[in-house]
Amino acid sequence: MTDVVDAPSATRSLPIVDAVAPPERLAMLRILTGTFAVAYLLIRLPVFLQLADRSTGFDGVGLAVFLDGPVPGVVVDVTIALTLLAGVGYLLGWRFRVVGPIFAVGMLALGSYRGSWGQLLHFENLMVLYLLIVALAPSADAWSLDARRRAGGEVPPASSVYGWPIALASLVLVITYVITGFAKLRYGGLDWIFGDTLRNHVAYSAARLDLLGGTPSPFAGFGVRLEWVWPVAAAATVLIELAAPIALLGGRIRTVWVVAAWLMHVGILVFMLIGFPMPLFLVAFAPLYRIERLWTDRPAWLRRVSDQRSR
Amino acid sequence: MDRRARILVTAGVVGALVAPVVFDRDGFPLSTYPMYSRARGDAVTLATAQAVDSDGTRSTLTLGVIGDSDDPLIVAGELRDAIRDDRADQRCDEIARRAATWSGLPAGQLEIEVVTERHDVVAQVQGDDSLLERTVHASCEVPS
Repeated sequence: MTDVVDAPSATRSLPIVDAVAPPERLAMLRILTGTFAVAYLLIRLPVFLQLADRSTGFDGVGLAVFLDGPVPGVVVDVTIALTLLAGVGYLLGWRFRVVGPIFAVGMLALGSYRGSWGQLLHFENLMVLYLLIVALAPSADAWSLDARRRAGGEVPPASSVYGWPIALASLVLVITYVITGFAKLRYGGLDWIFGDTLRNHVAYSAARLDLLGGTPSPFAGFGVRLEWVWPVAAAATVLIELAAPIALLGGRIRTVWVVAAWLMHVGILVFMLIGFPMPLFLVAFAPLYRIERLWTDRPAWLRRVSDQRSR
Repeated sequence: MDRRARILVTAGVVGALVAPVVFDRDGFPLSTYPMYSRARGDAVTLATAQAVDSDGTRSTLTLGVIGDSDDPLIVAGELRDAIRDDRADQRCDEIARRAATWSGLPAGQLEIEVVTERHDVVAQVQGDDSLLERTVHASCEVPS
C-alpha cells in the first residue's frame, strides 16, 4: 500500500493526495499496465482492425461523440499502428512524456470508437483510466530507457509525486467497484439479491451464446439447478463491490477484499464465460500493493540471471 | 504538481467518476456500469440469425457468420441495434454473404432469418423445450 506521510507540517495529511511512494513503484505500475494493454491490443487486434470496414450503426461514445459518423478505414488503421508503437514506448519508458500520453489517448480513442457500434465493453474502462493516470505522471523516472539516458542515472527519492498517482488509481478502482454495486441496487433493487436474478443472468448468458452459435459454459446448466446458491452469491457480489473502499486501508483486510473480488470474477468467468481480464490477471489490484517488490524481491535465480546480464 | 493541484485533480477525478451515476448516463470510460444490474426474469427475448432450409428446419450459425466477431456481447448488441433501427434486411444480406463462405453451412436451398426469440432461459440451458415466441424481422437467400 502506498504510504501517507510527510505532508507539510502545518497542514493535515490527506489520504490519496499526500501518499508517498518510491519512483520504482510507479514504474512497475507503468510496466504492468503497459504490458497488459499492449497484450490486450494485440490479442484484440482483429476486432479493432474490423472497425475500419464498418459503415452503419455508428453512435459515438467517449471521444467518438465528437465524430459525425464513421471515419475512413485508413484513419482507424493508422491509429491502431500508432497506438501499438506508442504502447511499446510506454512500456519501456522511452520519451515517456510524449509517448505515454499518446498511448493512453490512443487506447481511449480506440475504445471509444469500438464502443460506438452498439456495445460498450465495460472491462476496458479501468484499463484506460489507469493508462491516463500513469501516462500523465512521471512514471518513467525509474526502470525505463529515459532513466538510463538521464545523466548520472540516479533514481529520485520517494515522494508524493510518485505516490499520489498510484493512490489515485487505487481510488478509481474502489469507486468503480462501488458504482457497480450501487448499479445493481439502483436498477435491479433488492430483487437482484433476494430473487432469481443472478441465476437468470447465468442462464441468459448461456442461452445467448447457444443461440448465437457459441459454446456456453459447461457449468451453467449444472449451476442453475443449484437454486439456493444464487441469492447467497448475489448478496456476496453486492457486498464485495460496495465494500471496495476497505481495500484502501491496506494490510490484511485489503488482501481479503482483493481475494474476494478476484474469486467473484473467477465465478463470473466459470458460469457466464465473461472474462474481466484486468482483475483476473490481478493488474487491476496492482495499485493497492508495493508492487516494486515484484522486481526488488525477485527470487535468487532471477537475481543471478539479471545481475549477469547487467554486467 | 503542487499539493493544491493534486487536491483539485483528485476531486475532479472523483467528480468525473460519479457524474455518470448522478446523470444516469453510461459512457466510456466513465460509466454507470449497468451490465447485468437489472432484475431479470427467466423469460428473455434474444436476437439471433438462423439458417432455414426448404422444410423449415432451422440451423444455428456461428458468432463469426452472424456478427463477424468472436465476441458474443458485440454480436448480440449489434444485431439487436440493427433490428431496432430497421436495418435487419441489410444485416440479413451481410450474414447471408458470410454464410455462403462458411464450411459448416447445411446443404440445400437455404435462407437466413434475422429473428428475435423469447425463451425460458433456465429451461433452455438445461436442454428442455424453451421457445415461447419467435418473430422474423428479415429473411434473405444465401447466395450460391
